[in-house]
Amino acid sequence: MTLLISEVKKQYKGRLSKTPINALNGIDFTLESGKTLGIVGESGCGKSTLARMIVGLESPTSGQVSWNGEGIFDKTKNIFKKKHSRIQLVFQDPYSSLNPRQRIGDAIAEVVSVHNLRPQKEIEGRVLELLGEVGIAADMRNRYPHQLSGGQRQRVSIARALASEPQLLVLDEPVSALDVSVRAEVMNLLIDLREKLGLTYIFISHDLSMIRHISDEIAVMYLGKIVEYGTWDEVLENPLHQYTKALIAAMPDHTTFGNSREYKLLSGEVPNPANMPTGCAFHMRCSIATPSCSENIQSLRDISGRHSVACQEVR
Amino acid sequence: MTTPLLSIKNLQVQTSHDHRALVNGVSFDILPGEALGVVGESGSGKTLTALSILGLLPRGVEIASGEINYHGTDLVSTDRETLRNIRGNKISMMYQDPMTALNPVMKLGDQLLEVLDSHKVDISDRQSHVIAALKDVGIPDPQRAMDSYPHEFSGGMRQRIIIAMALLLSPELIIADEPTTALDVTIQQQILALVSEERRKRKMSMLWITHDLGVVANLVDKVIVMYAGRIVESGTTAEIFSNPQHPYTAGLLASLPKASDRNRTRLVSIPGIPPKPWSIGNSCAFADRCQFATEKCKNELPTLKENSKTVAACFNLIGEKK
Ligand SMILES: Nc1ncnc2c1ncn2[C@@H]1O[C@H](COP(=O)(O)OP(=O)(O)OP(=O)(O)O)[C@@H](O)[C@H]1O
Ligand SMILES: Nc1ncnc2c1ncn2[C@@H]1O[C@H](COP(=O)(O)OP(=O)(O)OP(=O)(O)O)[C@@H](O)[C@H]1O
Ligand SMILES: [Mg+2]
Ligand SMILES: [Mg+2]
Repeated sequence: MTLLISEVKKQYKGRLSKTPINALNGIDFTLESGKTLGIVGESGCGKSTLARMIVGLESPTSGQVSWNGEGIFDKTKNIFKKKHSRIQLVFQDPYSSLNPRQRIGDAIAEVVSVHNLRPQKEIEGRVLELLGEVGIAADMRNRYPHQLSGGQRQRVSIARALASEPQLLVLDEPVSALDVSVRAEVMNLLIDLREKLGLTYIFISHDLSMIRHISDEIAVMYLGKIVEYGTWDEVLENPLHQYTKALIAAMPDHTTFGNSREYKLLSGEVPNPANMPTGCAFHMRCSIATPSCSENIQSLRDISGRHSVACQEVR
Repeated sequence: MTTPLLSIKNLQVQTSHDHRALVNGVSFDILPGEALGVVGESGSGKTLTALSILGLLPRGVEIASGEINYHGTDLVSTDRETLRNIRGNKISMMYQDPMTALNPVMKLGDQLLEVLDSHKVDISDRQSHVIAALKDVGIPDPQRAMDSYPHEFSGGMRQRIIIAMALLLSPELIIADEPTTALDVTIQQQILALVSEERRKRKMSMLWITHDLGVVANLVDKVIVMYAGRIVESGTTAEIFSNPQHPYTAGLLASLPKASDRNRTRLVSIPGIPPKPWSIGNSCAFADRCQFATEKCKNELPTLKENSKTVAACFNLIGEKK
């Protein structure tokens, strides 16, 4: 099984002005089953748009998305619902994905029954099994979301996503809203579940240190494009794109302390997807940009085995 | 010995109607020019402590007892006028969300000039003072910025404007409540570098609140760790990061990912969740989650005591176990 993303673009109509927003500007990658792809990039670079597209909540303006050879937007064959259950999304904010007036056990039971995964009399057993899987005690089954801590709520949303027995989980900033001490627990849960259930993950975050922990491969996104792609160690230990280097330099480092840190800074702001820069989208913030960088559009090119970069200055 | 600029003694903050303790016996000093980091999980009382200093506690909570001494004035018992004068002239606050500090329907220039007016400061050329302040924080075209509205700026730019605003009256103390948490990492770095530089240049004191230990590692001189409304450990940044003595501080540090980590490895985690500050009786608030807890921890409240590395409230210090 493979996730195939090919030349995917997404434009949103601008709300106020007529200029469209270029949320995704040509995304290409393949992900083998059982692997975890980490996607990192700053606010507004299109991570959530891509996530929603992979689970079928949003259609691409152009390009293809397919899982296991079947197009996710192949609505004519009416496999939409079935496919849907094979790919699930977990959001950053468990409040928005859980109904505040529904008991957590009922929220999970609903998914099991919608997909006809168990006969009626086995559903309750399955609910408790799923709660157990994510470390929620059975006696909490009748609680409402607000009666849980942030970490517990995120566990419940993971259990709910698992209820439809997915093969691929798309995790959109699953730990960003959690306290540091609770974050580690949810990360460990994800690592254990992947092993146990043989899941494929897409793990989205703006936090490279979390990405490093879970990913086999890393895609670095900038303004709707992948600017670097490779195995986790290639990307982190031998970064090629100047933006990847800046992200690595910006990781908080608590092994050096004192107030004398030399900050390696990027200058300038993240550009606006409604007003795309010409040429390489990063050229205004890039320390090695040459005049032609503002003219030549860059796309990913292979540098070695499984490491590619979209930068003409990298030889 | 240097006299502290700010000295908080035994601060208690509680809910007004049912007197639940939210901040419980917090004491610390900030020396002139010193930067202090306050770290702790959501709900541990960081924001309420900061707001107490400024006399800006939200409706429904109040200071029950304690002293907040600023340069010889007790901010808890002083009159509103003195407090208002100190706030702004001597102490400024930077908030997490710039939109709470900026008026969305007022031009930026007018808002910044208003700050100067409302504090009756003696600056002859207000216009150029504001422009210089904006230039200092890296706003490229300050003249044009003054004619713009807040929504015309990106999040990072707005946060810089907030910093300019906080620095406008050359305060002695800056209180920052997670002002960079909502920002992108590369922009966060720009802001942290900017604040560090301005602080050094102006020899300001600073109180920096965050839930992320990694942020303060390179920013402050001393660190206070709060848990369920109390300080559980304090010390110099170097000691807190290299020799934490309280199991909670050690756990927090261990759960931060390290640059040497490999992929597909488990993180160190602290099981369980923090208790409500008011629900702790005569016990250590961390006992339920602590791997070193003994019977004593469940029946007695540990108080802050100086050890060879830090000051910590714990019966089973890390250093004593090895
Ligand atoms: N429904 C929509 N209508 C119009 N524009 C949208 C819509 N959804 C997203 N956008 C725009 O598309 C761009 C990409 O948004 P997206 O949410 O995918 O970014 P992101 O990388 O997930 O950011 P963040 O880290 O802040 O979550 C942004 O400029 C955003 O404003
Ligand atoms: N107006 C209020 N009325 C009642 N309780 C309050 C009020 N404001 C805060 N609290 C409670 O006081 C405690 C401490 O809150 P505080 O905002 O100081 O936490 P914090 O450490 O700043 O957390 P965070 O990291 O989430 O900002 C929390 O339990 C909170 O629910
Ligand atoms: Mg997003
Ligand atoms: Mg707070």
